[in-house]
Amino acid sequence: MTATSTLPTTAPVKAGTPGRPGLGATIRWELRKLRAQHRTKAVLLGALLGPVPIALVIHAQGRPPKDTLFGRYATTNGFALSLLILGFAAQWVLPLLIAVVAGDIFSSEDTHGTWKTVLTRSASRAQLFTAKTVTAVGFAVLTLLVLSASTIASSVLVGGHQALTGLGGQLIAPSTALKLVGASWLTTIPPTIGFACLAILLSVWSRSSAVGIAAPVVIGMVMQLVGAMGGVEALRPFLLTTPYEAWHGLLSAPRFTGPLVEGLLTTGAWAAVTLAVSFALLRRRDITGG
Amino acid sequence: MRRSIITAAVVLLVLAGLGSVAVATGGGSTVTSARLERSLTASFSQVYSQQARLLGHRGVTPASLHAKAMCDNGGSNVGPGSSWNCLMSFHDPSNPMPTTGYGKFELNVHSNDCYTAGSPSTLVGFQTITDKQGRTVNNPAYEFDACFDPGSSNEPTGVTFPSALTITTTALTPDPQGRATVAALCGTGADGCVGSIEVTTHGKKLGSVPFHLAENETAKLTLPQLPPGTKEADLAVTYQQGVGSSGTTLPVQG
Amino acid sequence: MTTQLAVDAVGVTKAFGQVRAVDDVTIQVAPGEVYGVLGPNGAGKTTFLRMLFGLIRPDAGTIRVFDKSWDSDGVGVLDGVAGFIESPGFYPYLTGRQNLEGLALLDGGARPGLVEEVLEVVDLTDRADRKVGGYSYGMRQRLGVAASLLREPRLLVLDEPANGLDPAGIRDMRALVKRLAASGLTVLLSSHNMDEVEEICDNVTIMNRGGVAYHGSITDLRAMAPDPGHLLDTNDNAGARALAADHPGIEVERAEDGLTVVGQEAADGLTVVGQEAAVAAYVADVVRSGIVLRVFTPTRTPLEALFFMLTDQEVAA
Repeated sequence: MTATSTLPTTAPVKAGTPGRPGLGATIRWELRKLRAQHRTKAVLLGALLGPVPIALVIHAQGRPPKDTLFGRYATTNGFALSLLILGFAAQWVLPLLIAVVAGDIFSSEDTHGTWKTVLTRSASRAQLFTAKTVTAVGFAVLTLLVLSASTIASSVLVGGHQALTGLGGQLIAPSTALKLVGASWLTTIPPTIGFACLAILLSVWSRSSAVGIAAPVVIGMVMQLVGAMGGVEALRPFLLTTPYEAWHGLLSAPRFTGPLVEGLLTTGAWAAVTLAVSFALLRRRDITGG
Repeated sequence: MRRSIITAAVVLLVLAGLGSVAVATGGGSTVTSARLERSLTASFSQVYSQQARLLGHRGVTPASLHAKAMCDNGGSNVGPGSSWNCLMSFHDPSNPMPTTGYGKFELNVHSNDCYTAGSPSTLVGFQTITDKQGRTVNNPAYEFDACFDPGSSNEPTGVTFPSALTITTTALTPDPQGRATVAALCGTGADGCVGSIEVTTHGKKLGSVPFHLAENETAKLTLPQLPPGTKEADLAVTYQQGVGSSGTTLPVQG
Repeated sequence: MTTQLAVDAVGVTKAFGQVRAVDDVTIQVAPGEVYGVLGPNGAGKTTFLRMLFGLIRPDAGTIRVFDKSWDSDGVGVLDGVAGFIESPGFYPYLTGRQNLEGLALLDGGARPGLVEEVLEVVDLTDRADRKVGGYSYGMRQRLGVAASLLREPRLLVLDEPANGLDPAGIRDMRALVKRLAASGLTVLLSSHNMDEVEEICDNVTIMNRGGVAYHGSITDLRAMAPDPGHLLDTNDNAGARALAADHPGIEVERAEDGLTVVGQEAADGLTVVGQEAAVAAYVADVVRSGIVLRVFTPTRTPLEALFFMLTDQEVAA
């Protein structure tokens, strides 16, 4: 630091009122941070390339994995293969991919001690909360779309596109099957958003990225287990993992969409509650550390 | 530390709350015999028609099969599990029903309203079949997965099939007094098995034994005294309720 | 009409559990002045500054900044305010420039060229494209100042800006703060170092254990300060001490801990307390009497002495 520096001698006196950032600018800032992190790229790359070896390995099995839905035809039919991977992904892969960003986006500010940095600018807590939530949810959906496209493409390339036997025993013509498989993957968007919101809550609450990322995966697996148990089926509608199975109805004959609607309500409720609690926690929080 | 304790406490509370909801509503499963009966007949008709197409059998369509089923899990007839059995009859002129009038399908039903059905090989063949071009292909009807709509009708279908009586003993072993027993199993079906077994040895009627078995019940029936030196016994079964083979001949040991 | 205060904090109180971190603190800063909040570590300075920035909610009291408050204006209270609390936090995976550009987004955008300008001011232009993860402590501290200037503030709040810096860094940082103050900025500075505050500030609040121990101008504080102290060692300390009888304005006593001089074991010494002129006259007398002076050095400055009195010994102002 030398005395030759050009200090803005007039600026501080005349200015003094920085503008209020729009939500767009706040989101842009979050996206910039996301882009600069390796984990973001790793998740997207994993979603893009991961399905290829998985499809190849399952396709090469001598005995089809019959105990999973569509496993019976997974080695002989590309559509069945992609649906088998969908069932598998919903168990813990999707919650994990989502949580890598959603479970970290709040607690990373704790990790780097930057809450005080961003909260002493001109963005309100509500604005930062909205921007982070939109970014995390947007990233979750993007990851899901990449994973879906990659899985369907590699499965069909590896396993072929013959007519598919649906969940009503009916034969589904390849063109219809492709649409239904695509639609099935898309039905996982609501629970994916639900899991992103859960990860956000855990990240805000724990202030720890480890909890924010690991806990949603563990909770997801516990919910899977509870959902598969007999005797407590009354809980199934409340579980965040149940909507991950709503696509079954699309492939049945006759088609049914009741679980889809129910799943939409369930995830809506989860998202609303988790986000409300998260925001309340963040708004009331005293930033003492960092 | 305090934070994680609070978290754990809240999670436990939520779980306890949900658990009591589950207990209070008594399971609340959407898996019922009525829904399975409707779903299984529909899905089986589809896979069986697929099989017929592969085999080159003409005239078999899902509608032409007129499949009817009766499902039972040996208990409350509600809830997932692997103990579901369904009796199903269908109409295919090239593949008549056995004497009982139905085949027995074993179902593994999951809590997510999907199930895997295993068909009786006597009716639908084995894992692989030879198609009309002579290739060995997967038999779509041998085992199949299906899901039913949890919102579909839960009205009873009213389909009943009589229980089938099976004599499980393969040889008679009389005691020193010449008394022998046969084990009989009354299978899944409506109203159990009622009737009598008439025993004949070497053309001589020895008398008859009545039976009265509930569904899924086994019983040991003691036969009339067999004369010494009897080599085999003919059992003729008559039914008031239930179905089964009309008779069998069992060797006598000792 | 009274002049609008830059900072008008009245009766501010904050407790964490049983500990009252800030207890009924009133601090008023006029526009254009350089104000010091002085206190030992743990006195509550940082908690107070966090409340000023809205990072912490006070339990009681009001804080108005340029006549705006959190209750009525929300984040608008920070219009015209910038600064950092403790060491400034940045994203290690972004470069210095990316950090600044990103933070500018949260300010609603910076005017073109401003990022370069503030980097120049803190002399980080050369390092701006390196990741902050590789920055030294001093560089981060300077980046913190740059990030604050990016807001073109009217009030600059700096929490221990020289903390953790090496002597050269401290000198540079003080020079920077002085230049900023000279440009018309209102500066609110916290420090545990009396020297720093004395050198830079017009008015000061001395905090101790959450409360206010002194509040007023540096000039008034100086008037309250005890006479400066010196250490004196001669070849005849007893003789030198006897000469003190002729100088009523000063006090000369045996130094309790002795005096360590380079090349010698601990030697005896004298403490000489009095106004500069009187002490000078006394020392001149000592020399004139033929006594050989070995050591004559100031111990602590009067304000420092006062500061320790006010804080450590809880002497009311």
